[in-house]
Amino acid sequence: MIEIGLADPRYPRRLLDLERPPEPLWIDGDCAGLSARAIAIVGTRRMSAYGERIARELASACAGAGVVVVSGLAQGIDSTAHRGALDAGGRTIAVLGEGIALFRATVRGRRRPLVPRIRASGALISQYAPNFCARPWMFVKRNATIAALGDATVVVEAGLGSGALITADEARHLGRPVFAVPGPLGSAASVGTNGLIATGAARSLLGVDALLEAFGRATPSEPRSPTDPILEALASAPLDVDSLRRRVCHTESELADHLLRLTLAGLIRKTPDGRYCAVGDAHSPRRWAAQLPR
Amino acid sequence: MATAAAPREAARSVARVAACALWGLETAMVTVEADVANGLPSFTVVGMPDAAVSEARERVRAAIRNSGFEFPLRRVVVNLAPAERRKEGTGFDLPIALGVLRATGQLTREADALCLAELALDGTLRPVRGVMARVRRAMLAGLPTAFVSRENAGEAAALGADAFGFTSLRDVVEHVEGRARQSPAPAPPPAPRPAHAVDLADIAGHQTPKRALEVAAAGGHSLLLVGPPGTGKTLLARAIASLLPDLDPDEAVVASAVHSVAGLIDPERPLLGTRPFRAPHHTASHLALVGGGSPPRPGEVSLAHGGALFLDELAEFSPSVLETLREPLEEGAVTISRAGNAATYPARFTLVAAMNPCPCGHAGDPAEPCICLPDAVDRYHARLSGPLLDRIDLRVHVPRIAYEELRAHGREPSSVVRARVIAARERMRARLAGTGRRCNAELTVAEVRRHCRLAGEAEALAAEAMRRRRLSARGFHRVLRVARTVADLAGSDDIRTTDLAFGLLLRAQA
Repeated sequence: MIEIGLADPRYPRRLLDLERPPEPLWIDGDCAGLSARAIAIVGTRRMSAYGERIARELASACAGAGVVVVSGLAQGIDSTAHRGALDAGGRTIAVLGEGIALFRATVRGRRRPLVPRIRASGALISQYAPNFCARPWMFVKRNATIAALGDATVVVEAGLGSGALITADEARHLGRPVFAVPGPLGSAASVGTNGLIATGAARSLLGVDALLEAFGRATPSEPRSPTDPILEALASAPLDVDSLRRRVCHTESELADHLLRLTLAGLIRKTPDGRYCAVGDAHSPRRWAAQLPR
Repeated sequence: MATAAAPREAARSVARVAACALWGLETAMVTVEADVANGLPSFTVVGMPDAAVSEARERVRAAIRNSGFEFPLRRVVVNLAPAERRKEGTGFDLPIALGVLRATGQLTREADALCLAELALDGTLRPVRGVMARVRRAMLAGLPTAFVSRENAGEAAALGADAFGFTSLRDVVEHVEGRARQSPAPAPPPAPRPAHAVDLADIAGHQTPKRALEVAAAGGHSLLLVGPPGTGKTLLARAIASLLPDLDPDEAVVASAVHSVAGLIDPERPLLGTRPFRAPHHTASHLALVGGGSPPRPGEVSLAHGGALFLDELAEFSPSVLETLREPLEEGAVTISRAGNAATYPARFTLVAAMNPCPCGHAGDPAEPCICLPDAVDRYHARLSGPLLDRIDLRVHVPRIAYEELRAHGREPSSVVRARVIAARERMRARLAGTGRRCNAELTVAEVRRHCRLAGEAEALAAEAMRRRRLSARGFHRVLRVARTVADLAGSDDIRTTDLAFGLLLRAQA
């Protein structure tokens, strides 16, 4: 772990746009990604399956295009974004709201195995001393750092009062493009993002291309592929087998056969509660972009 | 047996009466020896009696006196042979009393029968637990006659023994002496098929969960139902009782013996006909679930032997209690070791479990949003350990169903599904004839290779699944067993693509 000041050549220039750039900055991992093109992908901890899929797909697509994914390594959208970037073989930076050493010692659950992977293909950074314990106000400052580190910010899902809305606000103050992913009306996890779109505070994100264009990385558009009725039914939320069958009007054996093939292709999987959900990958943003009117 | 006219034998100083000791389901014939000798009046029972057997002295003394006989004012020693084995329970009262009467000459003939009853102070015979297992042992030992209390007569007669049910000690003596002969109790009628509390036709919608129940009932596969509260998981699980075929005769004897040891036998209809369905509460302890205590009593897993064990709110069970299920799920039996002895109870059951998808219960519920953080959901599922989940074959989601479905007609009743289950079990029995195993869930790896042939494209699909690492080898065998049951239910010898696909759809692992 290293500690760098404003004068250090490795200090990310983008942070200097902040009114009070964090100093010093503790970095655990590789400093190279700090100055590369980066996108901040943030969102609520209480994500829906829809948000999980979108976060994963966006992060994979960006990482696949060589863009660094910045997020806060919180539960939910943040850690899904990190994982998506890593699975696509890209780089990712986690901005922590507490001391790095303390975080590494105390993190549990799904995020624990992410820590060594992030250190190997990016970095954990923090503006707090390694053993500094987390307080609520520290996360607000951390969110500003995330916004400043990304050339653009995407809010995937945010409820009312979600910290991701603070990140979006900061990004707007910094004059960076802000995108919000539209969500279903009535979904608590999308109230904040839909609000951002409605008030004009963020642009509605309809495909990964718009995002990558902001970086001057055009993506070859794929021919419109025929969509699968089951993948379409699973796009917004996981479903149980009976609901799926009603949506696609299959017989029992037809449906079983269809699900078997999609599972073998790695496009869907079974959740711990026995339903089926779509598995996002780096190619799917193109698939949904292909469905947009031209 | 001698007739009433036979000459009275002289009083013998050492009398012998047959009894039977019970430890768990294990039984051992015991000879009760009574010796009456001159000396200071005393009454001693030796031969590793427990407290209840030692207390028999007081009951026997009073019962003999109050039945109009005389308790000898001499030195009485009763030995329970073999002396090295610990004896428990009150079933030795009657043989001890008969031994004393025989030794003092008040009983002039040999009681040529297994004697098994507790005595009241007035000489009345009281029922004891575990009659069935002990009568079975006596029959195997060549002693087809049993003297028991009236309440236990049906239980003893159910296995085909000459069972005599008596009301009092005097009745027994009169019978043995040939003065008032009783006739053996008739074999009780088989227990009627009870009207099941839940029929599949009572449950709306839930086609896939119902199919999963059918597969579980047919193949003996363990099933986990996951769904929000109030969607009918418990109702579905209880419906499995209406799908299970009747017990085979040999299974019925074992299952009834376990219930007899636990004291749960209906005296009128002692032989179980239907498969047991046990549903212990989630606060159950180790002892309640797998059995224990000294002497070891059978737990819920053994009472469910041959039938189904339903664990509602699986994640609320104490994790250490759930771990104890691993042995019975793997071995089909539990061994309970206690100081001085170990008892083995059979425990081959179909596990049906139900749980919520997350701590708040509403993940995937269209009616109410889930408020759980991802880590909290992970922790909730982590309460079930990998090794336990590994032993669960089927996992289905039980969703909240729409109002239109609640009103839909044309639901299949349990009797129709049960007929399919019975036909499928018939196929399994033919396939496993001579192995002692009965259903597909018990297939060994070698048998899976031999009996689970994949037809046509199914073979290629399975190879593809393995190659893409969507399935482990172990998970694959599990899926094949389930697919075998799906094919059996459809009456097919080979596993076709649709059977394999449906097996995969129901499988437990992600």
